[in-house]
Amino acid sequence: MTETLPAAAYESADALPEDVRQPLRDLILALADSKRVLGLRYSDRMLGSPTLEAGIAASSMAQDEWGHARLTYALLGDLGDDPKALEHERGAAEYRSISALDADLRGWSGMIAAALLVDMALTAQYAALVDSRYAPVRNRVQKLLDEEKFHFQYAAGWARQISQGPELRGELAAELARVLPQALRWLGRDDAPGMERLVQEGIVRDQPSARRARFLARVGPVLEEIGAAEQLGVTRDGAEWTYTGALDWSGWDDATRRAGGSLDEETAARARGDKNRALLMD
Amino acid sequence: MKEPVYEVFARKSREEPLRHIGWVNASDGDLARVYAWKTYDEQNWAEMCVIPRAAILPVDPDESQFVTAAKSESEDEIVHSRGTGSYGGADVAVKEGR
Repeated sequence: MTETLPAAAYESADALPEDVRQPLRDLILALADSKRVLGLRYSDRMLGSPTLEAGIAASSMAQDEWGHARLTYALLGDLGDDPKALEHERGAAEYRSISALDADLRGWSGMIAAALLVDMALTAQYAALVDSRYAPVRNRVQKLLDEEKFHFQYAAGWARQISQGPELRGELAAELARVLPQALRWLGRDDAPGMERLVQEGIVRDQPSARRARFLARVGPVLEEIGAAEQLGVTRDGAEWTYTGALDWSGWDDATRRAGGSLDEETAARARGDKNRALLMD
Repeated sequence: MKEPVYEVFARKSREEPLRHIGWVNASDGDLARVYAWKTYDEQNWAEMCVIPRAAILPVDPDESQFVTAAKSESEDEIVHSRGTGSYGGADVAVKEGR
């Protein structure tokens, strides 16, 4: 059965209420930057993967992420930005990518923790835009979500595989523990400036707390299956999943979705495409 | 660690029969589906399936390209060659003979 979406109320950013433009722009930029850096981190794992198939899939996922980043940056053109400048002209400190990706992924366990928790947190946020009343966003998200189903299967499959052997089980648990609070926090605060308005206007489906719950409902069963949920503070009550830990919001900037720190310059240079800047086309 | 083989079948339209297009090594069905989709992406497939090789029962085993579970030990040596060593080093300690 095909779900009928409500008619998009806002065909372009010009039609958006003034007070939602900035929070929407902040949200889209945080998504685009996170996707771009996630693609880079995946691409570092294309070689040296445990199996040929895993490497091919990591390579394809890196391409997916860069495609998602490109279409997400392109959305910012409608909101008054120059997407090309955003992609190619910013310093590391200006990147709003999720803090869990500031450093290289730690081994294959780090790759899988990022795929399961970072990629799926981003996906939970995109899912809240799939029926957006802002047409440019709504029209681009479904294909992305379809591709992310494979990323989830990949992450879940590898989490299971790693957890079946003693060699890397502890390392994976440590990476999951490091990344989970950052992924949960990245989904934001309900009382962030403009957040309630985005929901009221139907541009974003629901509040960050609801997105966190959906994210946990997706990854929770995997964490439970590999025996990591309890240690991570992820518990279930029927179909509802909860994080029992306390998220640290000190220094949190709702606009950038970061609490200090920065992407390193070398990664930013790769994200910008500095190496082949001379060949950059208009 | 020996991974099972999954045979990959696909078709470009609903009217076509499924045809065998290749195989992947994967530790479970989830990974087999991802690997198949990401590896055999040269066509815009309308449908793709993966089937554990061990689940295929050739009517005439002598004539079959698929190897049955009964033959799996000798076949393992042939089909379970791993790419780890030749793909830039291993991040993961892969143990033989799970």
